[in-house]
Amino acid sequence: MAYKPQFGPGTSKVAENRRKQMNPKQKLEKMRDVTDEDIVLLLGHRAPGAAYPTAHPPLAEQQEPDCPIRKIVTPTEGAKAGDRVRYIQFADSMFFAPCQPYQRTYTEMYRFRGIDPGTLSGRQIVECRERDLEKYSKELIETELLDAARTGIRGATVHGHSLRLAENGMMFDMLQRSVLGEDGIVRYVKNQIGEPLDRAVAIGKPLDEKWLKDHTTIFHSLGGTAYRDDKEYIEYVQRIHSLRTKYGFMPKE
Amino acid sequence: MTDAIYPQARIVSARFLRPDTVEQLLNRLVQVGGILRMSINGPSIPTTVPYGPARGKPNPHPDRKVIHVGDQDVLLQVQVGTIILELEDESYIAGIREAVDEVFAEKDFTCAVQQGRYMKSQPTISDYAKYGPDADREILGLVDPRKKDGPIIIQGTK
Repeated sequence: MAYKPQFGPGTSKVAENRRKQMNPKQKLEKMRDVTDEDIVLLLGHRAPGAAYPTAHPPLAEQQEPDCPIRKIVTPTEGAKAGDRVRYIQFADSMFFAPCQPYQRTYTEMYRFRGIDPGTLSGRQIVECRERDLEKYSKELIETELLDAARTGIRGATVHGHSLRLAENGMMFDMLQRSVLGEDGIVRYVKNQIGEPLDRAVAIGKPLDEKWLKDHTTIFHSLGGTAYRDDKEYIEYVQRIHSLRTKYGFMPKE
Repeated sequence: MTDAIYPQARIVSARFLRPDTVEQLLNRLVQVGGILRMSINGPSIPTTVPYGPARGKPNPHPDRKVIHVGDQDVLLQVQVGTIILELEDESYIAGIREAVDEVFAEKDFTCAVQQGRYMKSQPTISDYAKYGPDADREILGLVDPRKKDGPIIIQGTK
């Protein structure tokens, strides 16, 4: 029988949302339009329109060693061109942000190629070749993985994911990269590392509370789905924990 | 830090406050009176970018601004989330609750007033090691006593 990935355990809505994001066959809902130039501005790695700086000559121009793995793996566009490795980093509020660090890493690993994600408690960074990064960033920003108010594109100084929200519903950001305008649209006025942008980049309106609670991938006992209520999830995690703990003693179930 | 045990209260809002809300709330609290010491807490808003490739560059932030409380100008250096108060006696707490309810009546989130001990009552060994024997006990445990700008004194009506 062919292997069919299950993506994750759980019977709750949160578990279902997690599986949906991870499953590469499920198309992520597009929530907003951000232009390619806007993405380049937000990332802040190169000026819009500038050529991609390279770390090595294009693969076609250099002698490749005779390696069986290189024959199996097709290089990504960025790797082919010899782009530098660059990053995008997100901070997700614990108040029902649509995604969160571990979930982001799982999702990206299932959906993207040639990436190196780094997962921390409050932020998640993904590194890859610049050309690929811009393509992936566009998907991460335009789809349901991002909420304008509760997800921050923050390369540095990420503090805020576990804090109270501000009066207007925005996640705290000591550099205030994004500002909620009078018209209800969130605009980035600084790039991800906190340098002011020449023009503001609009990323749309924050999503409403009901949508966020329906689409969140965070268990939250206050106002959301409590982790302890998903018996299947608990059972699975306890099983893994028990097997890991007993590993050295040859576990037998 | 004072010898007498004065009652203390803490005002905690469910959301971080905008500077104009803080101004409104603090002015209302000053009207209630009976406040010996007050500390406003929350995550810091630095003047320059503290980490990353842009470290040291200026950090313009609309919420780091001067508000007018009583007869004094106060520069907000934090995004206010909690206000700690030391009061002359417990009779002022009812007035504070009333003031908070009034300011937050039209907001879509709540704000709690709690009574307890929220300020440091005695310097610790670490405080002694860090700040020495002559540290200002009035502000120890509330802010860094080595900071050059001292507390802001708002004149009462007595």
